Amino acid sequence: MPENELGLMAHLLRRAGFGATLQELQEYQAKGYEATVEELLHPEDIPEWNDDLVRRYQPDQNSVMYFESAQSYCMYKMINSKRLLEEKISLFWHGLFATAYGKLNHAKGVLNQTDTFRRHGLGSFHNILMELSRDPAMVFWLDNKDNHKDAPNENYGRELLELFSMGIGNYSEDDVKNCARAFTGWTIANADYMAERASRDSIWPSGRIDWQFEYRPEDHDETNKEFLGRTGNFNGDDIIDIIAMRPATSWFIAGKLYNYFVSDTPNEEAISFLAEEYRKSSGDIRSMLRALFLSDYFKSESVWYDKIKSPAELVVGTARLAGSYKTPQSDITNLASDANFMGQEILNPPTVEGWHTGMEWVDTGTLVERVNSSALVIGDTLQPGVQAMIQHLKDRKNSYQPNELVDECLLLIGSLNVTDSTRERLVEFAANFGEVKFTPEDAVACSEQQVVELLQLILATREYQMA
Amino acid sequence: MTTTKTFTYSHTIGFLAATGRGLTNPVDLAFNSQGVIYVLNRAGPETTVRLPSKRVTMCNLDEDWFGDFGTGGHDDGEFWWPSAIAIDSQDQVYVADEALQRISIFDKDGKFLSKWGIKGSEPGQLEYPSNLAFDSDNNLWLTDSGNHRVQKFTKDGQFISGWGQRGSGSGQFEGPWGLALADNGDVYISDWGNDRIQRYSNDGALIKEFAGLAGEDAIHRPAGLAVDAEGNIYVADWGNERVKVLASDGTLLASLRGESVDSKWAADYFGVNPEEGRLRYAADLFPELDPPARRDREISAGVEGFLWGPTAVKLDVQGNLYVADSLRHRLQIYKTN
Repeated sequence: MPENELGLMAHLLRRAGFGATLQELQEYQAKGYEATVEELLHPEDIPEWNDDLVRRYQPDQNSVMYFESAQSYCMYKMINSKRLLEEKISLFWHGLFATAYGKLNHAKGVLNQTDTFRRHGLGSFHNILMELSRDPAMVFWLDNKDNHKDAPNENYGRELLELFSMGIGNYSEDDVKNCARAFTGWTIANADYMAERASRDSIWPSGRIDWQFEYRPEDHDETNKEFLGRTGNFNGDDIIDIIAMRPATSWFIAGKLYNYFVSDTPNEEAISFLAEEYRKSSGDIRSMLRALFLSDYFKSESVWYDKIKSPAELVVGTARLAGSYKTPQSDITNLASDANFMGQEILNPPTVEGWHTGMEWVDTGTLVERVNSSALVIGDTLQPGVQAMIQHLKDRKNSYQPNELVDECLLLIGSLNVTDSTRERLVEFAANFGEVKFTPEDAVACSEQQVVELLQLILATREYQMA
Repeated sequence: MTTTKTFTYSHTIGFLAATGRGLTNPVDLAFNSQGVIYVLNRAGPETTVRLPSKRVTMCNLDEDWFGDFGTGGHDDGEFWWPSAIAIDSQDQVYVADEALQRISIFDKDGKFLSKWGIKGSEPGQLEYPSNLAFDSDNNLWLTDSGNHRVQKFTKDGQFISGWGQRGSGSGQFEGPWGLALADNGDVYISDWGNDRIQRYSNDGALIKEFAGLAGEDAIHRPAGLAVDAEGNIYVADWGNERVKVLASDGTLLASLRGESVDSKWAADYFGVNPEEGRLRYAADLFPELDPPARRDREISAGVEGFLWGPTAVKLDVQGNLYVADSLRHRLQIYKTN
């Protein structure tokens, strides 16, 4: 157990959530690390975010017909949901089973898919693949609506094996063909019209209609198929039964979870440990994550700040820190745009491979965007989270020397550990203010502004940009 | 006394169009003395390309289109979160805006005349004005949803009176939305966050609460309201994706789910673009969905003819019931008798 228990809790909340304020960290710490892990693993015990106000005042986010509306709704949900791991696991599967608005032209279809990941994302991988295979957006995205008994389309069958479960090298080309045949007849209702709708905007007199999955037995290939050494009249669910039991799948999922929750750098030993947990739990994601979060592979300080925050993590985490967007605001679209400019268009990943993460999140352009976006949000002294931080400082002391102010602010934004050199630069900056005083009254406005400027600089540090 | 009334779907007005002849998230409507229907299009999100969709559309019951006015913005005559529309005895048009905290006034052709409204919580100030109604003295009533109260103004914005505070107790409100005035001056408020309708005398004395209907008859997050001469109450039951009709004693007379088919404007479009209509008319637009696994709003999202996000109900002098089917960009019309 690291000595820095608050730091460990902050690490957990950065990875299993979007970061946490000092007050939130202290509340979690009162519950204890293991209890917090268990709470995170059971989002169903926490009330769902009530989106009534957003849907009332922003009806475009009720029907989510437009892409920017759907993106904004995602932002609200990630910012306001108390079910932190539910949001993070949905984002994980959204990145892995990347389905993009760009081809579908049906924003709610993609949004519904992410809701499916919320509902099932911590359950068994077998069930997740079943839900995925029936998900209308996926059926559309990888052309399974065009996968017919007499004219198979291999797109979904191939990606199911290559990108969604076992990975290349663990199946043959014949397995791909037979996998596709097993999924013939898995389509969406009114497929012809829905396909037309995806290509043209003009024929929707009443806006989009939700897609519905449909199984058409008359279009299913009922002949025998050979798949991964087994032969039978396989349907899609039989294929998933086989895939979910393969050792290659356990390694594949273990590697993806490790990369997402722990480190951008693979660790064979840790991934092996997670793969074993997959096999022991019959692919139960919740069990795998419990084992992971309680392991030294996760707790070790060597992996703290070892991941670059994705744009969604950065934008959402900063908005949560500032207490922004608790109520409907029309400029929520700007927040989604910020993530887009940083290289992560939520609901519109670039390809079926999803986003390239790690160092690829950062280049000279996106780094400026990351810093500017964070500074803008935390720089608004009207935001309740910013006000709360200032109030905390006022309540604690009447005046701060530069080093005291830096240490307290680092704590306030979620127990941020920074290197000595980073801290020195922050203290140097704060020294420009001299002693920051909250008395007399006429000094307060200036001091508040100085605090905010320091917070803005802290959010620009390497450590804050990492998770 | 409970009356027997029937409601028969008549037709649909409107279809989705970002500008021009069509509607975009219609949230409210009003009639002038000449039978012109003014439909308020909230639209959104507030991005540059979508702002022109925020407008008032003028048409009639026979689906003749007379043009539109307004656009998205903060200047005079523009809208940001337009929420409600009402017409005074001189056929001047009043539009409330929940983001700009103001009432804008137009002549019958849509020429901007004036505006009033100040953001705040003091008497006479506004915080998210959600609905409007004129009384027989030409005074304008509104639900001030962010301040959880109802207020009454002269039509040029002089504060007259008001009541209400936040809460769930008797006579309190949680984000009140719809407002309707009965012929005798009684004031009906949909107390959105408390899932009930409240009826007051016009000086603010609580007469009755309509809440506690059982099971699927319950009202959930009610929006717009109307009251007919017999005292029957029409509720845009936004949270249940339905319109409910209650007798004056609160008995449920009807629950309407919606049954829209293409409007004349939509049919005209497909008439000149037949290849686009071919697949649509071959499709099943009323699929059987599995209700237990879905919320009503998800079912509405999947069944095109159902109401989805009903925000306003209005009755014309012939007794036609108009429902602003906001997420389907249309009005569903029912005949009542």
